Amino acid sequence: MIFIYLFTYFSLFVFIALVISKIFKYSSAPVHIRWELYPVAHEPKKNKYGGSYYEEPEWWKSKNKKNHVAELWAMFEEIIFLKGVFIHNRKLWYFSFPFHLGLYLITATFFLIVLSALLDLTGVLILNSSETSFGILFNSLINVFGYSGLILTCLGCIGLIFQRVTDKKFKFYNAPMDFVNLYFILILGVVVFITLINSNSGFIASKVFVKNLMTLNFAAVNDVSFIIHIILLSLFFLYFPITRMMHLFAKYFTYHKVRWEDEPNVKGSKLEKKIREALNFGVSWAAPHIQTGKTWAEVATTHPKAEKK
Amino acid sequence: MKNDKMNSIKDFSIIDKQITELDPAEFIKLPYPYEDWVDPPMKELTDDQKNRLEHSLDGFSGIAIPKPETEEEKQELVAKFLSGLKKLLSKEDNWILLQPLLLSMENCVKCQSCSDECPVYTASGREEIYRPIFRGEILRRIINKYMKPGGKFYNKLTGSDIDLNWETVARLAELSYRCTLCRRCAQACPIGVDNGLISREIRKLMSQELGFAAEELHKSGSMKQLETGSSTGTNPTAMLDIVEFIEEDLKDLTGIDIKMPLDKEGADILLIHNFGEFLSWPENIMAFAIIFEKAGINWTMSSQMGGYDSVNYGLWYDDAQLARVALEHIRIAKELGVNRIVMGECGHAHKALMPVADRILIDENIVPRESAYPILEEIVFSGKIKFDPKKNDFPVTLHDPCNAVRAMGIVEPQRKILRYLCPQFVEMEPHGVHNYCCGGGSGFAIMQGKNFPDWRNGLSFRMKFKQILDAFQDKIDPSIYKYVCSPCSNCKGTFRDGLTYFNAFEKAGIIYGGLVELIVNAMVDIEKPFIEWELK
Repeated sequence: MIFIYLFTYFSLFVFIALVISKIFKYSSAPVHIRWELYPVAHEPKKNKYGGSYYEEPEWWKSKNKKNHVAELWAMFEEIIFLKGVFIHNRKLWYFSFPFHLGLYLITATFFLIVLSALLDLTGVLILNSSETSFGILFNSLINVFGYSGLILTCLGCIGLIFQRVTDKKFKFYNAPMDFVNLYFILILGVVVFITLINSNSGFIASKVFVKNLMTLNFAAVNDVSFIIHIILLSLFFLYFPITRMMHLFAKYFTYHKVRWEDEPNVKGSKLEKKIREALNFGVSWAAPHIQTGKTWAEVATTHPKAEKK
Repeated sequence: MKNDKMNSIKDFSIIDKQITELDPAEFIKLPYPYEDWVDPPMKELTDDQKNRLEHSLDGFSGIAIPKPETEEEKQELVAKFLSGLKKLLSKEDNWILLQPLLLSMENCVKCQSCSDECPVYTASGREEIYRPIFRGEILRRIINKYMKPGGKFYNKLTGSDIDLNWETVARLAELSYRCTLCRRCAQACPIGVDNGLISREIRKLMSQELGFAAEELHKSGSMKQLETGSSTGTNPTAMLDIVEFIEEDLKDLTGIDIKMPLDKEGADILLIHNFGEFLSWPENIMAFAIIFEKAGINWTMSSQMGGYDSVNYGLWYDDAQLARVALEHIRIAKELGVNRIVMGECGHAHKALMPVADRILIDENIVPRESAYPILEEIVFSGKIKFDPKKNDFPVTLHDPCNAVRAMGIVEPQRKILRYLCPQFVEMEPHGVHNYCCGGGSGFAIMQGKNFPDWRNGLSFRMKFKQILDAFQDKIDPSIYKYVCSPCSNCKGTFRDGLTYFNAFEKAGIIYGGLVELIVNAMVDIEKPFIEWELK
């Protein structure tokens, strides 16, 4: 029985390691040229129509304040409601929105289960407590989030598979992995749902399992369908980081480090220091006009003679 | 989806014939008076050109890639492509855009939210090879198969079973020149994937490793600019002559005697124009001079090598050329000791020297740089010049240059001026940061070789032309003269050729011009109309 626990630890470890490695890969990339796109959400007042500080004469003389609330709101709209898909791809949104909302609810359920186990360990709340109003509320929240999340995810998943199969614009670009992702999530959702329905105890088994994981208590798990669901979930954690589902984490960088990244370069700043470092990178591009073997700073200040016609 | 020859992505490297033949009859329909418009047949390459140049994508040759003569030569070029791809993904060789590129290559979920945002794709009648994700998906699958570990199973799983051969490289190179880099697709992407960036990076790989680039951008563009002082080939001596001619014309046209300030040390502003204005639209140079002089601005232009042409074609295809030209502009500003550089009406020059070059400048090279649009707004509303908006009482619409608007957020200054000075100003839809590209972005405006102009005029300009017609629909009668305000030199080049192609002045009374021309036309002090109603 220890196998199921070890496999869960392993999958969680690999998942976390790969996510961290991906985040590290993006965040450790060198400084890049500005490549923002307007509207930039944190631009005070002007963000409504897509304006920027470049609209001010001698813009460098004003303090470039950022509206972080507007930025958070823009992220909230985009992450929770998939605003971009709603505006530009409504047909897809009808399935993509419930799918994503379902996943968020399942993620919330997962964290509530972990919290529940923690509260149980500290004696604040008994796992299956229904004696206090807090306990009732807490467990109800887990049930509502969990069941609605599963239903929304599965329905969204079916819709997305249907679109990928029937719509020509998707069909042309489909790769087997696109279906594996969706079928995997659908099967997992259905198995978890069946397990919960059959167990008559809702999320209690999950809470106990998480508590056992936290306390290194490798107690026997007898419910076969529960074991299957844990194995599938663990496999999913292993599979997730090698897929494009990692856009969940990448999105932070595409928005905050590219699309909305409008920090001007100022003498003596940290940014200037990073640019200086980058200019000293070596260049190995092979076309004659590049003049390989120099640093970027040298290449930029060396003029190649125009090729003769 | 439209393309009968391809059943899947991998067919891109398998098909041994031209991948698509464009049929203008399938292009997007235009409104009145163009409902019955029939495009002239698109020019085919000559037999000689067909024998010499790669054209197997869509029959057009944007960058005139010579066909390799031997199998060895083909293999060598494919190997070079792979070596360039490796560099494109390396920190040292591509620090300039590595992070955005990785994010775009690794996170597209193919949701197709971007597809209908692309004016080329939609105007073509949804030709598959022009779909925004198409070229990125080819590159992505090549990277998966040839640059990443994983083996056959992983390649099959990710659909990365595409073969890399010479045809794939050549088609991909041409395909990167079927995107105007307007980045409207990126704006629509919920994840933040930028297919415009991917096109730009493919161009970079082709230029910096294989030496393939549009001649107008490289050999006769940035290389010529670094050699002579201007991409037009105008050297400093000729530049002085041209300025003299413009001063004389200015006096003839307006009666105003202005000596253009040149190389004035310690001036507040160094104004740099796209040199195309001097040659094709000198009235723009005149108008700037009139406005700045009347407003009492302490300004100068440069007649020195590197200081009188703001174009920077490297922005579209090559990092080394981008940096070299930008540093020339900075050098001149430092030598003159000006307080700031001001970009004239040229969108890509704005983007190249302001936000983009910002990340290659250190120490004393960090010279303040700004757009002319807010300065013009400040002047117009300062009360220093008297205006009579009735002088501009004709329909005007505004084209938003992608580089200055979507990529830099300079949206309102030009609008405030038009709302004040042009009583019949009407917006195009969509406008502002959601505008459509003129169709000449990323160098297309100046790419005049082979049969490429037909592709640009008939196809990539089409969506913009539709927008213009829609904006003027209630005043479309050709006897009512209408003005498309385009505060960007390259966009004007596209309008010149596109409006001529559609015979728009005769059929609909439409001309185009810059922003400053409208400002001067409304000045009380200028007696004769400054705007001439002809399609130049």
